[in-house]
Amino acid sequence: MKRNFIKTNKYQILAFVFSLFLFTGHTMAQESRTINGLIKSQEDQELIPGASVLIKGTTRGTVTDIDGRFSLEVSNGEILVASFIGYEKKEITVEAGMNTLEIILGYSFADLSEVVVVGYGTQKKSDLTGAVGSVSSEALEERPSASLNQALSGRIQGVNVSVNSGRPGGRANIRIRGNTSVSIANDPLYVIDGVIIHAAGLANGSTPIDYLNPNDIASVEVLKDASATAIYGARGANGVILVTTKRGSNKGGMITFDTDVSVGVLPKKIPLLNAEEFLMVEDIAYQNAQKYDPTGWANGIYTDPKLKRTNPLLFDANRNPLHDTDWQDESFRKAVTQNYQLGLTGGNEKDSYGIYVNHRNEEGLMRESYLKRYAGRFVFDSQIKPWLKVGGSLSYTDQKESQVDPLGAGGIIAMRQVLEALPIIPVRYNDGSWAGNEDYPGMEGGNNPLHVANERVYIVNTQTMLGNIYANFNLAEGLELRSVLASNIINQRVDYYGGRTLNYIAKNQRGDASVMNDRLNSWQFENYLTYNKDIDENQSINALLGISWQHVDRFNSTARSQDFQDDYFMFNNLGAGANVFQTLSGTSAYGLNSYFGRFNYNLKEKYLVTFTGRIDGSSKFGEANRYAVFPSAALAWRISEEDFLKDHQTVSNLKLRASYGVTGNSEIAAYQALAGMGNYTVIFNDSRSIGLGVNRLSNPDLRWEKTFQTDVGLELGLLNNRLTFELDFYRKITEDMLLNAPVPSSSGYSLVTRNIGSMENKGVEFALNSVNMVNKDFKWDTHFNISINKNKVLELTGGADIFSGSTVIREGEPVSSFFGFVHQGTWDIAEADLAAQYLKLPGDIKYEDVNGDGAINDNDRVIIGQGIPKGFGTLMNTFQYKNLELMVDLQFNYGNKVLWRSKHSAEDRQGIANSFKTVLNAWTPDNQNTNIAQLRPLTAGYNTFNDSDRTQDGSFLRGRNLLLAYTFEPTLIQKLKLSRLRAYVSVQNFFLSTKYQGYDPEVSTSGSPFDQGVDLYAYPKPRVFMLGLNIAL
Amino acid sequence: MKKNINKISRVLLISLLMITTWGCNEFLDETDKSNFTLENYFTRPEHATSVVNSIYESLRPVMESGFGGGPWMMLEFSTGLANTELGQAQNSLFVRSLINNSDNGYGQTYWTSYYRGIANANLAIEKIPEIEMDNTAQSKLLGEARFLRAYYYFNLIRIFGNIPLITTPIDLTSPELYPEVASTSAVYDQIVADLEVAENAGLPWREYSGRVSLGAVKTLMASVYLTMAGYPLQAGDQYYQLAAEKANDVIQSGTFDLFADYDKLHSVEDKNQGEHIFMVQYAAFTIPSSWQVSIIPYNRGISAYSAETGGIFSNQEFVDAFEDGDKRADEKTFFYTAYSLESDRSTIKELGDYYIWKHFDEEAQLNSTSSGMNWPVFRFAEVLLIYAEAMNEVNGPTDATYEAINKIRDRAELPALENLSQQEFREAVWREKWVEMCFENKTWFDMVRLRKAWNVTTGEFEDYVGHQFTYGPTVKERELLFPIPTAEIRNNDKLSQNQGY
Repeated sequence: MKRNFIKTNKYQILAFVFSLFLFTGHTMAQESRTINGLIKSQEDQELIPGASVLIKGTTRGTVTDIDGRFSLEVSNGEILVASFIGYEKKEITVEAGMNTLEIILGYSFADLSEVVVVGYGTQKKSDLTGAVGSVSSEALEERPSASLNQALSGRIQGVNVSVNSGRPGGRANIRIRGNTSVSIANDPLYVIDGVIIHAAGLANGSTPIDYLNPNDIASVEVLKDASATAIYGARGANGVILVTTKRGSNKGGMITFDTDVSVGVLPKKIPLLNAEEFLMVEDIAYQNAQKYDPTGWANGIYTDPKLKRTNPLLFDANRNPLHDTDWQDESFRKAVTQNYQLGLTGGNEKDSYGIYVNHRNEEGLMRESYLKRYAGRFVFDSQIKPWLKVGGSLSYTDQKESQVDPLGAGGIIAMRQVLEALPIIPVRYNDGSWAGNEDYPGMEGGNNPLHVANERVYIVNTQTMLGNIYANFNLAEGLELRSVLASNIINQRVDYYGGRTLNYIAKNQRGDASVMNDRLNSWQFENYLTYNKDIDENQSINALLGISWQHVDRFNSTARSQDFQDDYFMFNNLGAGANVFQTLSGTSAYGLNSYFGRFNYNLKEKYLVTFTGRIDGSSKFGEANRYAVFPSAALAWRISEEDFLKDHQTVSNLKLRASYGVTGNSEIAAYQALAGMGNYTVIFNDSRSIGLGVNRLSNPDLRWEKTFQTDVGLELGLLNNRLTFELDFYRKITEDMLLNAPVPSSSGYSLVTRNIGSMENKGVEFALNSVNMVNKDFKWDTHFNISINKNKVLELTGGADIFSGSTVIREGEPVSSFFGFVHQGTWDIAEADLAAQYLKLPGDIKYEDVNGDGAINDNDRVIIGQGIPKGFGTLMNTFQYKNLELMVDLQFNYGNKVLWRSKHSAEDRQGIANSFKTVLNAWTPDNQNTNIAQLRPLTAGYNTFNDSDRTQDGSFLRGRNLLLAYTFEPTLIQKLKLSRLRAYVSVQNFFLSTKYQGYDPEVSTSGSPFDQGVDLYAYPKPRVFMLGLNIAL
Repeated sequence: MKKNINKISRVLLISLLMITTWGCNEFLDETDKSNFTLENYFTRPEHATSVVNSIYESLRPVMESGFGGGPWMMLEFSTGLANTELGQAQNSLFVRSLINNSDNGYGQTYWTSYYRGIANANLAIEKIPEIEMDNTAQSKLLGEARFLRAYYYFNLIRIFGNIPLITTPIDLTSPELYPEVASTSAVYDQIVADLEVAENAGLPWREYSGRVSLGAVKTLMASVYLTMAGYPLQAGDQYYQLAAEKANDVIQSGTFDLFADYDKLHSVEDKNQGEHIFMVQYAAFTIPSSWQVSIIPYNRGISAYSAETGGIFSNQEFVDAFEDGDKRADEKTFFYTAYSLESDRSTIKELGDYYIWKHFDEEAQLNSTSSGMNWPVFRFAEVLLIYAEAMNEVNGPTDATYEAINKIRDRAELPALENLSQQEFREAVWREKWVEMCFENKTWFDMVRLRKAWNVTTGEFEDYVGHQFTYGPTVKERELLFPIPTAEIRNNDKLSQNQGY
């Protein structure tokens, strides 16, 4: 049949049969006559079978036959309503003399009666008064991902997903409408099937949501404005992501199997020095030593590097290198990933169940890094009695990750050594032993990247259990009580071992092993009443009232020992370490008690009003300020339902909505209101003694951080919603900002958690959906969205700057402002005298003396760029020809800088490790117009700072996904007893256009909250070639 | 059926309401099981020991050393006698080039860790008397707390000059959370008051454990009085008298004597013994000291340590200025200029510069890479030199002053001094102190106390302000103090920056 992308065959037949049932034999009228007609599709002029024709205000009607024709008894003046799934309804008044009739129906391109999930309930899309974005599982299917956050990238305007690492599982940072807080979490609240996930920082920057199997997701809704988020009160300020998982089947047994296999490759190499160039740079540096360190030169601390090129493993008799290793080729591999998801569902209209199992095995681009996941989930729903429905779900995930890119690490890690391992050394020598930089004298002795990756072992083992059971009591007409009991348990064990031969890592300790255990328990009990009532023809209400308890406790312990006789034990036998180095444990707990309610009022489907409120109480706050109220109100006007627009040819939907409300953020550590004491360790008699002393200044006045948000939105649908626009303006003001604010350290304390400061985010979000072309066999649609957010810190404690990672938080400036010197290139020979005033020579880096005091010091640092983009968005084009689909998904991002901190060791200093090829452009008397200082041995003095030479334009256009999919005709696969077979190939990250010189400008290697765009030895993102199958039977 | 539903709904609603009321009470009370709070601590004698232990920890942060240099180095680079190969240790370079500014992290570390020590001492001094315990033990612990508080204040006042004086525990409502600057004399008065209590607290002359001893208290008193007699207080000659008395008490106690062998100054076996009076305590593998990586040259492959940072070494001009025949200038006495290679211990590498030997831990450098070396805060040589200097100021040279200084010279195999005028003797002591106490965080304090600098080229003492370092920069008035850390001024508007910064 035709146009299965708008209506499925199944639906068509179903509707046909259903309509027959309903209307046959109900045609009777007075003074009636028979009218014959046909119903056609506007777009392709095809006749529509199975469409219904109903006389308005009666139950009389019929459906069109297989040729799209109908006949019906009518009287003059009656109104015929013609409708069909996927098409706009049409009304025709019967007039005298009208005996035949041709009704043309136009496509309805967007279904406004679609239901979306909101907090504690669902709503028709057309009834929404707030800003809610929605992603279906079909959309998620187009780009299978390792985590929910990755999958959300580019789907919803206002939701900025930065996939900051290319490691297995990625490390995605997600911000909804900007950063709302300075010192506490900016992550959104995740609610999975009604279970609020505790926002916990887990190992190496991961969060609980990273352990949700994304293949289980049926839909995701993102709540953005206060009207939508206020129902989550104290935790709603950063936005809320509602995840609905797949349930059982109500149409009998079904088996689904989804699989994808992919290969990831390194899309881009950073140019590094080869063996010949490396030795040349070292030679040139030596020749310049006298200029930059005359005293050292005179004392004879510099020797000609050629003299030390004698190691027969590295050099031939003529002192030429034997090896020329490309460490990027050696370290990165073709990374194979396999993913399998099996769904077994069954049931009928009353009872249903589902079993889902998943296995994912992802190899990292960097050798030795991987992710393995096993996940299983069981769901059931049962209408036990007409008044009682129960159900629940239980899921378990076991994930094991080997990570080579520790957050915030500037020391020797595998990713650093990819850039810095010498090209003149091999991976291993002939006897099988590892080669390392130390084999060539005078080098900073980091080991080669494969050696580090093999022997610096960091494995995160995570097991999570998420379960809930619910009962829905139908108490009376329209009145329902839902009771949900849920629990989330996360067990995480981090195994670490640094091998005995790894310089700077564990060689001094002769092996360093630790095991960290972390367990989080959380339970939640919620009860709420919902009441739906149509008061009369024109008015309806919907009300919600509920209560919630949540409790979270956490316990962690670490054991660490050092000095092993053999690497064999790793972390598996801490007792084999001679030096029991450290044992730690700690626990914390907090509780939340909340009351919430919502009231929706709908007048004539034109005017919609919503009031929402939540009262939250948290044990984290001082007794006097435990409870806080978070209210919101919203109004929507469906202008297109007004008489003057109702039957408008062009405008099919026009809605204006506005909301205002307050939400909170309470993600501070527990007990901040108490004056806690801390451990001190001291040595007496050569052994450890413990002291207890000051640690935390008590702040009994601690209260909730509040965000006040205004949102105005416009939704416009044209030509039967063939073209839809959604435009939102918002402004968020965060007040009483919970700040780990500095106090004078003369008190003995440095920080106290206080409510100080305010911040503003304002922005515009725009989305466009368009069906550009549609006919019998072909459809082309476009989705475009763009989000622009402006962040500004309004007020801080006493106006003082706060330094956070590589950024400064300053009043009047956005967070995530990189701070450093202004790099003005290098000093020319002509400027020698001026350079001398700054104790510099021609050939040294020239920094701007911002305050003009004749010296370059910290006072000359200024803001040198923003790490957070000014705007970002998606352009997605989908072409469908018959059963073939081609999707081109582009991601763009502009107005941000990347701070390429890897330059510190790979460009600013040379001759002690390998460098970027850019150092070949270093200053010489013949090449004075350069940003790279004249080469010299490191000990002769050099400059290395965060400066404007390190901040590079991070704007980019990425080919996020190129997908070609084919869905087999049902008739074809019936022989195979399949109901669905879809095969696809895709290339993710298929191109990247950017001026940034590092691997990828979508990056952050820092654990610091505002260090988006800091690249210090980043793990590159692969280009992924994927092959996938979706099977159902 | 319908009746039933109504019944059920009523029951449910009622139970819902009941749970609601339960929710408000204990549910939101959580106690911190991992930590005591100030309110529920200080109930047992062990708590008294514990809070005093915590005061000691603040001795360590300023000694932390690595790829960023180390805070303690600022007191050496400011003398103009030290150099570094560590280009990325900007804090060191700023101080060395006399272009230091208030953002320097070294100063920040001194300020924060010493004031944390003071806060713990304040807590101890206020709370220990409330604990029921043995009087002798209580008095000793209070003596330790008083000594440490005095020690921290003494360093803070000399480094920063204009500092708040806080002597009671602080909470968020205390006015002292945002304190005013105290007068210099008020700070010294408090230091003296604390030390007088400590002096009478019943502490033993020596503590091999590493805790505060009477020897330490008297030595600190001697050093404080000597400083009070000098700049900036210039409190009068009677303070020279007091300094001499306290130093003499230590000498006369007979508890301490010079090591015969300089190597014992940095031998782990001799920690807290012999010449040592008070030290910052470390233990290998447990809490190892970290400066070993800073006193070896940058990546020359001489050490078992992976990190060889070249953080600090001596200017050659300084070593050249030692008297001819001074044993302390000999290889591997105070300095070393050659060392064997890690890859082949039979090959000796010439290093070209004078690296610091007096803090060098051979066992750690050759094998263990975990140093148990202590940092010397006070040693007997300083007591002798304080005595000689102070007594000379009071009376001119006497037999006793000659005896004191010649003990030091004798060990250095230098001829005994005799027949000097008061001025000659004065400068002889200074020179001796510059040499003997070099790279122990003493010299800069002497320079600003005396407002004198030793011109290592001419061998003469000249005014501190206007003194030119051998490598170029000239000392300005502002360098009498270090800048108050930026963060502290930002967080407390009652402070103002020291002049010139």
